[in-house]
Amino acid sequence: MPAFVLKAGATLLTLLAAAASAAYVSSHVKNGAAPLHPAVLTAQVHAADVEAVTSTYAS
Amino acid sequence: MPPSARHFEALGTTCSLFVAGAPGEHLERGEAWVRALQARLTRFEPDSELSRFNASAGAWIPVSEELEDLLREALRAWELSGGLVNVAVLSAMHGIGYRRPLREGPSGSIAVATPLPALPDVLEVTPGRARLRPEAGLDLGGLAKGWMADRLARRLGDNALANLGGDLAAQGAGPAGDGWPVEFGGHTVLLRDQGAATSSTRKRAWELGGERVHHLIDPRSGAPACGDLGEVSVVAPTALEAEVLAKTALLLGSGEAPAYLDGKAAAWWLLP
Repeated sequence: MPAFVLKAGATLLTLLAAAASAAYVSSHVKNGAAPLHPAVLTAQVHAADVEAVTSTYAS
Repeated sequence: MPPSARHFEALGTTCSLFVAGAPGEHLERGEAWVRALQARLTRFEPDSELSRFNASAGAWIPVSEELEDLLREALRAWELSGGLVNVAVLSAMHGIGYRRPLREGPSGSIAVATPLPALPDVLEVTPGRARLRPEAGLDLGGLAKGWMADRLARRLGDNALANLGGDLAAQGAGPAGDGWPVEFGGHTVLLRDQGAATSSTRKRAWELGGERVHHLIDPRSGAPACGDLGEVSVVAPTALEAEVLAKTALLLGSGEAPAYLDGKAAAWWLLP
């Protein structure tokens, strides 16, 4: 196989890997406001699958 | 049957009141109560009871039953928080330009911050009277909202919820009998005779002199808090306790907050 084919193939592979990596990290951007941990609920609080009437929030 | 609800703007925020199984006119009276207390406890009106107390220049002055109770709760909050919740914050608020309601914008320039005095060193309360050291001033802020939410929920009846800008108190069994459904940390939780509150550095923030500042003062520095937490929500036995625990946890930071909250809070949520 000619050397230039090997060089072109290696270059193409490198470019494809770079493009795929860029696409992946762009679609997995870190959310700076994401919670450090899930909410901690002790036994004194019960979760339920119902619609809330209100919420606590910063004001 | 869904609960009766009433929403209105007061205390510089949105307030929501709910009652289940009772006439809705309770809610109208609840709103009037909030507005009346706001007029007495605001630091922005020179004739309010709080402003007159702040201007009392070290003299013992008579205080209403409500202000006396709130001042005692402020001293308890200082103890519970190890000094991190300190209402003697007025000069620090002025130092970051927070001299008037934020809808009117900040005013002045940023002053050099100094640590706050210990609250018991500047505030004394006896039955019917109180005294504030001359150079000290109080801003009851979130503490007053939590305190008012607790009182208001009880005033509204046996089965009611008062949410004053995120500081909420849930009284009784709720509309379906299993607790008041409240959104908390991505869950709906059922609160019964409990309170919840959120403390944050993201709201009530502004730019002054090219610097971003917010209203949550760290008493250790006298400057806006700069820890690794941006928001903390807590469920506790009362809204007032939840307010104190949330603010303390936010100031402690993510390293110490979980250990501090464990055993005191019924639920918590920490955000950077």
